Amino acid sequence: MAEAIAVQEIIKTFPGVLANDRVSFSVEQGEIRAIVGENGAGKTTLMKILYGLHKPDSGKIRVKGDEVVLSNARDAIALGIGMVHQHFMLVPSFTLAQNIVLGVEPKNKVLIDEERVETVVQEISEKYGLAVDGSKLAMDASVGEQQRAEILKALYRGADILILDEPTAVLTDMETEELFVMLRRLAESGKTILFISHKLREVLAISDNTTVMRHGKVVGTVKTSETDDCELAEMMVGRETIGGRIRQIAECGQPVLQVENISVLDSRDLLAVQNVSMELHCGEILGIGGVDGNGQEEFVEAIMGLRPILNGRILVEGVEIQNQSTRKIREAGVAYIPSDRYRSGVATEALVWENLVAGEYYREPYSKGFSFVWKEINASSDELVKRFQVSTPGLDVETGNLSGGNIQRLIAGRELGSNKAKVVIASQPTRGIDIAGTEAIRQMLLEYAERGAGVMLLSADLDEVLALSDRVVVFYEGRLSDAGYWDDDIRRRVGQLMTGGEGGCNDESVS
Amino acid sequence: MMNLSRKSALNERWKHMLLEVLTQTANYAVILLLSLLVGALVIFASGKDPIASYQAIWQGAFGNPIKFADTLDRSTVLMLSGLAAALAFRTNVINLGLEGQLYAGAFASALVGFSVQGLPKHIHIPLCLLAGIVAGGLWGLPVIILKLRWGITELVTTLMLNYIAIRFSQYLIAFPFKDPLAPMPGTPVLEATARLPKLMKGSVLNIGFIIALVMAFVIYWFLFRSKIGYEMRMVGYNKDFSAAVGIPVNRSAVLAMLVSGALVGLGGAVVIMGFFGRFLGSFSSGYGWDGMMIALLAQNHPLGVIPASLFYAALANGALAMQSATGVPQTVVVMVKGATMLFVTVKVFATFFKRRFGKWLASTSDA
Repeated sequence: MAEAIAVQEIIKTFPGVLANDRVSFSVEQGEIRAIVGENGAGKTTLMKILYGLHKPDSGKIRVKGDEVVLSNARDAIALGIGMVHQHFMLVPSFTLAQNIVLGVEPKNKVLIDEERVETVVQEISEKYGLAVDGSKLAMDASVGEQQRAEILKALYRGADILILDEPTAVLTDMETEELFVMLRRLAESGKTILFISHKLREVLAISDNTTVMRHGKVVGTVKTSETDDCELAEMMVGRETIGGRIRQIAECGQPVLQVENISVLDSRDLLAVQNVSMELHCGEILGIGGVDGNGQEEFVEAIMGLRPILNGRILVEGVEIQNQSTRKIREAGVAYIPSDRYRSGVATEALVWENLVAGEYYREPYSKGFSFVWKEINASSDELVKRFQVSTPGLDVETGNLSGGNIQRLIAGRELGSNKAKVVIASQPTRGIDIAGTEAIRQMLLEYAERGAGVMLLSADLDEVLALSDRVVVFYEGRLSDAGYWDDDIRRRVGQLMTGGEGGCNDESVS
Repeated sequence: MMNLSRKSALNERWKHMLLEVLTQTANYAVILLLSLLVGALVIFASGKDPIASYQAIWQGAFGNPIKFADTLDRSTVLMLSGLAAALAFRTNVINLGLEGQLYAGAFASALVGFSVQGLPKHIHIPLCLLAGIVAGGLWGLPVIILKLRWGITELVTTLMLNYIAIRFSQYLIAFPFKDPLAPMPGTPVLEATARLPKLMKGSVLNIGFIIALVMAFVIYWFLFRSKIGYEMRMVGYNKDFSAAVGIPVNRSAVLAMLVSGALVGLGGAVVIMGFFGRFLGSFSSGYGWDGMMIALLAQNHPLGVIPASLFYAALANGALAMQSATGVPQTVVVMVKGATMLFVTVKVFATFFKRRFGKWLASTSDA
């Protein structure tokens, strides 16, 4: 069969990140190719390169045998490449038909031929077997229908290579089934489909071949019919073991944090965490693994009082804290390093000292009555900046001027500086910061655990979770499963759990 | 890395403040110059003399001590309104209801001013001012309830409460509190004991101006030096961050709304008690709206509100003088105001001056 699209030795760097590292693969016409990998493996970057949204630093792209340069999405569309984004790009107040033809409307001389818009859409919808009601407004259409309209939009523009970025993330099981039937039909009619996912079950159900990416590299491409979820999971997370663990798991056994059967809604009022229970013991570093968006963020926010829990209890050292104010929860001894440092870690427009005292400013000795005690605030800020090696020209500098790594040190200083926390929740504490900073923050977490606090570590970087944790639990679709204590085999177990595997892979099945 | 002794940290703080003041002074000088240039171009294009026009404005606003004092008086309510807006905007509370809160404060103070009799001045005046403060604050209460209970944005509710306040006050002066002798629809005249003492013979300037000035410093202290002000600023900077560190986000927003309403309510009281002497249906020429512009111009800094409101007052008092002296229509002033709004959003001047002065300060301290 003819080659539809191929990439060779693609390299793409962003400041400080090597997103694609000599990526090569080729996809045949009529093939359904799944691209899988953890968050940050480089899948989306690669797809954006194929759609002309990013320019690669080096490397070649071939479309239907010809080497091409894609400098924008229009180039890609002209070559028959269509993209269906994870978040739909439809005009809510337009009908689905109008959305599908938007920009390339059928015209009668100069004006848009409104009558033909719907018949044209009707035709193309029947041709590919993608049922949409063209007269429906986009905002009234179901998620599945919106997605079909997105696919038709690409097909209407002449796409024969379709890129779908995590198309099932927003769909119900039923809608996913329907989507797969449609994709198979499209492939049979000669369309080529690139399907990005991290749900191995779906990948196995739909694709002809699967390309696995990890840390920006292609790990390999396998024929889907000849593999299983165990092999794919291992390819995704790697199989090297982490050496040099010297830490003795502290033995004090007392749970500092108990979560009993809690459920939490996400921002769209959907159940993000379902009846989750767990215990965090003192002296322990508990890793929380899982692909982003499987409920771990909502879980942490619920513990911090930033999101109500629907049922269950949360206890810190035996005292119930569920649905209390964040301040009360912090006073009970919980420290929190949020995952997005710019969204909730600091106020970038505020000064360095203002961010440093944000957790403690309201009590003595930092303030008395209505006003601050400057001597104490200055001394404490000064001390934190030194101890946590925040590189800043002064305390009266706008925090946004500091580098990401220094902002993270600042946050660590604020949260860990007082040495009072019994529970430390660190979410993505080293995301996007340099090696020295990463080391420093990991060291602080270890020190905390050694001192007898319980540390809960969330990271999209599985290596980090595995490097530090004594025990790992994994979130998948709002549920928690236990991967057990650290041993040489933990990476494999975590990999399976985070990709929805049932467990039960044994070493023989991994070849 | 920081390794500063207490003394040099203090030094550092002073230098930081000096740099800020220098930068902003230069920044606003450029903004003013450019805006006047825009106005001059328009005047010139219409065939009039820009320099004579600006001289007329200057004369009208600051030409003699009386006029100067009148301009200060004009700036009084603008200053309080600007402070109200700055405080709310700092907390990221979009209080578009200043005009309504102004009416509420003005009417309440008038009510206490004409209906309560036989009190000595030093009790009656504070009582009237307090009535304005409380009414202005309370007028924001529905906004708070609607927001906290049902999540309705204050953007809409504050705006709508303006119309309710204005129309309701019109009803009040047309029926229950109508003064049949008043030339325009209005309440009866305030008791003499409720009038604010004048500061200067021949001018309308009264102690309301002092009150506004003091309030600017009080609000400055409150925002930048007090615990609650700190919370409000943090909430304004970043709500998610504030929630995550345990700063009471809702309490700060509620407080910002109340204090903002109270400030502009005080403004309403001062303009009635100091200038008009009774509540008139047409007492406000959009002071609430001007307050928002002034806060924008001052980049929501309470001390910046002082010069910004003086600038607005000078343009307002000078515009009439200009029109009668040169025939240039008053609306040119609106263009100058508009131009300042535009230029104040331009960040390049401030960045430029900051770098320049920063280098200069660094070089002087090394020597």
